[in-house]
Amino acid sequence: MLRLENIKYSKNSNDIIKGISMKFEEEKVYGIVGNNGVGKSTIGYIIMGLSDYTVNDGKIFLDDNDITDLSITERAKKGIALLWQEPARFEGITVKNYLTLNKKMNIKEIEEALNLVNLDPDKYLNRLVDKKLSGGERKKVELASCILLKPKYLIMDEPDSGIDIMSLDMIVGVMDYLKNKGTTLIVITHRKEIARKCEYSYLICAGKVFLEGESNKIVEYYEKTCDTCGHINYAEEA
Amino acid sequence: MDIVKGYEEEFNQLVDIYEKNTEDKSLRNPSVATIIVSGNKVVGLNSVKGMYINSKVRNDGLVMIDVEIEDNTVIPIPVHLCTGFLEKTGEQILKFNYNIGSNVRVKFKSHCILTKVEKLHHYMESEMYIGKNSHVVYEDEHFHDENGGVFVETITKMKVDENAYFASKFYETKTRVGRINVVMDIELKDNAKVNLESKIYGQKDDIIDIKEVLRLNGENSSGIATSTVFATDSTKAHVINEAYGNAPYARGHIECNEIVKGSNVSVSTIPVLKVNNEKAELTHEASVGRIKQDQLETLMSKGLTEDEAAEFIVNGLLS
Ligand SMILES: Nc1ncnc2c1ncn2[C@@H]1O[C@H](COP(=O)(O)OP(=O)(O)O)[C@@H](O)[C@H]1O
Ligand SMILES: [Mg+2]
Repeated sequence: MLRLENIKYSKNSNDIIKGISMKFEEEKVYGIVGNNGVGKSTIGYIIMGLSDYTVNDGKIFLDDNDITDLSITERAKKGIALLWQEPARFEGITVKNYLTLNKKMNIKEIEEALNLVNLDPDKYLNRLVDKKLSGGERKKVELASCILLKPKYLIMDEPDSGIDIMSLDMIVGVMDYLKNKGTTLIVITHRKEIARKCEYSYLICAGKVFLEGESNKIVEYYEKTCDTCGHINYAEEA
Repeated sequence: MDIVKGYEEEFNQLVDIYEKNTEDKSLRNPSVATIIVSGNKVVGLNSVKGMYINSKVRNDGLVMIDVEIEDNTVIPIPVHLCTGFLEKTGEQILKFNYNIGSNVRVKFKSHCILTKVEKLHHYMESEMYIGKNSHVVYEDEHFHDENGGVFVETITKMKVDENAYFASKFYETKTRVGRINVVMDIELKDNAKVNLESKIYGQKDDIIDIKEVLRLNGENSSGIATSTVFATDSTKAHVINEAYGNAPYARGHIECNEIVKGSNVSVSTIPVLKVNNEKAELTHEASVGRIKQDQLETLMSKGLTEDEAAEFIVNGLLS
């Protein structure tokens, strides 16, 4: 189980995360929903341990081990992975190199991952992961990379952003595939089709967990109330 | 292949080093045009139809090599130029003269094998004329000694005639640089197109100087010059890219990316753009800085350490 305990994070004296606690049990699908700017990506980055996201207070536990001070690499080696909302580009690196990270890997497995994200291996294995890939293609390559990592916990930051609407089925399919493989998914989203796949969700407002519970109920509340609220400081006043 | 009598051993030694570094076996292939120079001696020469190679060694040791390619010659297999130095110290001075006719297609693969020297000054001056409508590619890869005793200077002056195309790649990424000074000065005529690329990996106290000049003198000529330097340890690197737009519709783009690692590096870049015709258009891009944090962290989030991630990124940049 992955657990956040009263996490606080501020940047340039702005309190961005104001005491958040969350629990992610194994092999379940979690949603993190909320309006733009409420701190959803920040939570993902804090879990992954990115360098700009050292917490001011609180702890992160993985199976009751405190991982708050571990590096990104150490967390990754413990099975935490991140599907970046806007993955970085790399010059001179082929899709194949990127997916294998120059390690030995069965080509069948690589092709399977590419097929899962609707990229034809024949067309893409030798393409470069640089600026010439479209946003959607880049995101699909990142998704394939996350599949190949076989993580225990995968944070998916807006998995559908940059990807055409026709690919929503593909994303939902990949989520099912990963869940069946035993990956716990932490899905940051505000798309209904994806939120519906989640079992349990956290609604974030102004850096706090405002509501949590069965996903359908949270999403229903979010759509009824938050969609029209646009009031990112609501939680402070509530 | 004509191996010059008495130099069989040097020839074999050089070819062996070359094959080890590149896994390319074409130097011994009789259908491949080759020029192999060891020290101040031409040790192997092989011509193909339409191509004439003449070499002369002056009393003072300067090696002069003239390469002429007849009009309308298409050479399907790359021409190999291999210069090496097998003694421990010394100086190697080479002067190449290329005269390439019209409607020619040729690719040169040049290799500098300087892996066995302690202290060497390798000076190569080239002049190249490329005739109308020709298509010429020149790839230059260097292999230097790991102790940094090599000082390489390559000075190239070129004229690319109407409607011709020239591309060059200069790579010193696999072994230690030592000290390097690369100068490329190219004049472009009407509709000529040029693409220059150099990639250099500096380590320890390497010193790197690059100067690339595009003189866009012809109408509608276009040129791109890109330099990528990865500077680590206490490397010093200085890159100057110049483009002169002297004719209508001439287009030039110069780009310099210097990636630094470590606090003792000293790098700089100066782009120079000068337009003498209001219809010419020149652009430049330059960056000097560390490897991008989001690139590093993306790879670290897949389990690579920071050093492994940096190596992965740089291998891509320099490939
Ligand atoms: N590196 C940063 N520096 C300053 N402010 C930041 C930084 N990252 C995020 N923020 C701010 O934190 C808040 C939460 O951002 P984010 O987590 O990206 O929101 P969400 O993903 O929910 O849209 C926003 O108000 C944003 O402007
Ligand atoms: Mg976000």
